[in-house]
Amino acid sequence: MRNLSSLGAVCLLFVVLPSQAALNIFACEPEWASLSEEIGGDKVAVYSATTAKQDVHRIQARPSLIAKMRRADLVVCTGAELEAGWLPVLLQRASNRKVQPSRQGYFMAAEKVERLDIPEVLDRSMGDVHAGGNPHIHLDPHRIQKIAQLLAERLIEIDTANEEFYRARLSDFEQRWQAAIERWQKQAEPLKSLGVVAHHKDWRYLLDWLGMEEVATLEPKPGLPPSASHLATLKTKMATQRAAMILRTAYQKARPSEWLSDKTGIPAVQLPYTVGGSQSAEDLFGLFDETLTLMLKTTQK
Amino acid sequence: MNWDSLDISILGPAFVAGLLVLATHVPLGREVLRRGIIFLDLAIAQIAGLGVIIAYSFGWEAGGWQIQAIAMSAALAGAAFLYWCEKCWVEVQEAIIGCVFVLAACAGILALSANPHGGEALKQLLAGQILWVSYEQLIPVLAVTVLVLAAWFGLGNKRHPLMFYGLFALAVTSSVQVVGVYLVFASLIIPALAVRRLSSNGLIYGFMTGAIGYGVGLCLSALMDWPSGATIVWLLAMSGILSMSLTVRLVKSVE
Repeated sequence: MRNLSSLGAVCLLFVVLPSQAALNIFACEPEWASLSEEIGGDKVAVYSATTAKQDVHRIQARPSLIAKMRRADLVVCTGAELEAGWLPVLLQRASNRKVQPSRQGYFMAAEKVERLDIPEVLDRSMGDVHAGGNPHIHLDPHRIQKIAQLLAERLIEIDTANEEFYRARLSDFEQRWQAAIERWQKQAEPLKSLGVVAHHKDWRYLLDWLGMEEVATLEPKPGLPPSASHLATLKTKMATQRAAMILRTAYQKARPSEWLSDKTGIPAVQLPYTVGGSQSAEDLFGLFDETLTLMLKTTQK
Repeated sequence: MNWDSLDISILGPAFVAGLLVLATHVPLGREVLRRGIIFLDLAIAQIAGLGVIIAYSFGWEAGGWQIQAIAMSAALAGAAFLYWCEKCWVEVQEAIIGCVFVLAACAGILALSANPHGGEALKQLLAGQILWVSYEQLIPVLAVTVLVLAAWFGLGNKRHPLMFYGLFALAVTSSVQVVGVYLVFASLIIPALAVRRLSSNGLIYGFMTGAIGYGVGLCLSALMDWPSGATIVWLLAMSGILSMSLTVRLVKSVE
C-alpha cells in the first residue's frame, strides 16, 4: 500500500512539474484563453477568469482570481474598458509586477486593433458607451488573426527559449484560420445585407464582417435594461423595417427577445457568443462554425 | 480543492475588514434586535445609495470624499426621519422602514433609467466586494469604527436614541461599501441573534461568533473557489446556530 502511494506521489510529481515550467496565462474571457492555447500549446497553462455564461462587464470576487493573477506571467484580456469594473482592482490586489499595465505581461487584445464606434464626444446621456469604442471585437475573424500574430510575438518576448515553437504554432493556426475564413465567408453568403435586432451591441463586429445590418437594439441605450416603451417602439418599427432575426448571448435574459419575437414573428436566436457558449463552440473554430450554422438555420425557417 | 488561494495576503485584508465591520455591527445589532427594527440597515443603505444617484442625475460627478459626504448625509437624513417615525408611530415603525426601503430602491431605479453610470456608482456603493479591499482602503473604515465605538460606549447609558440612529447610519454607510449589503445585514443580525440570551458577555461571544463565520467562510471560499461574500453569509449563519446552541446550554447551566 505504501509503495502504491509513493508511486502515486512520483506520478503526481511528473504531472505537476511540466505545468509549473509552463508560462502561466490569465485570460479574462474564454475567447482569449482559447487563442492562447492555440498559440501556446503545452508551453502555456491557461486560466480563464470568466465563462461564456457570465457577463464580463461585472463578476463576483473569488479568492482564486487573485491567486491566479498573482502567478500569471501574462494577462490576456479584451481591454478598451470592457473589464473596467474589476480588472484594475484585481491587478492592484494581486500586485504582480509582471502583469501591470505597460509591462510585457499585460496584453489587451482590443487595444491592438482598430475599434468601431469610437464616440467623438463622450456624453453621459448616451448610456454605457466605452470611450475606447466598442470592445466586443472577437467576433471578427480578421481581427482575431491580427491579435493571434501580436499575441505570438508577445509570447516570444516573454519566453524567448520557445520562439521556434510559438512561430510554428502560429503559422499552423494562421493556415487553418485562413482556410476557415474562406469557408465561412462562402457559407455566410445568404446572410449578406440582412437586418438584425441585437440585445446589446455585442454583435457589432460579426455583423460588420458579414455585411449585415443592425437595425435596432433591445437595450434603449447600451447598458440599460430593455424598457416597456422601448420594446413597444421596436414593435411598431419592425412592422415596416424587416429584420431577419433577434440575437442574444447565453448570459442575456431570454425574455425581451422572446417578447419581441412573439409580437413580430421575427425569430429570436441565442448564439454562443464566445467559446463555451454552446456545446459545439468548444474552441474559436467551433464558435464561428456554430454561430454561422445557427444564423443560417434561422433564416431558412 | 484549491490550496493556492489559501494565502494570508489574499484573505488577510478581507478578514480584517470583517472584524472591523463586526466591531460596530455586533453592539448595534443587539440594539436593533432590542428595538425590533431588523430592516433598518437595508433602508439606510438604500437611502445612502439614493443620495448618490440623485447627485449623479443632477450632473454632479463627484468622486472620492464628495461621494462619501453625499452618501453619509443622505443616510443621516434618512436616519433622522426614521427616528422621528419611532417617536410618532412606534407600533408600525417596522412597516414604515420596509416602505422606505422599497421607495428608496424604486426611486433609484427611476433616477437611473436615464443614467447607467449612476448605476455603476450605486453598485459600487451597495455591492461592495470584501475580497477586493486592501489594507489602505480599510483606514477610513477603521476611523469610522473607532468614532462609532467611542461615541457608543463612551456615553453608555446617557446616550440619546437619536444618537443610535446617527451612529448606525455612519457605520452602515461605511461598511456597506466594503462588504456589500448582504454581509452588512448578516453581520448585524446573525451574531446578535445567536447571543441574544446572554447579557454581560454577549458582545464578546457575538463578536467571536462573527469572527469564526468570517474566518471559516473566507477559507472555504478560497478552497472551493466560491464567491467570498455569499460564502461568508452562510458560514455566519452556521457559526450563529452553533453558538446559539452553546449559549442556550450556558444560560441553562447558570440558571
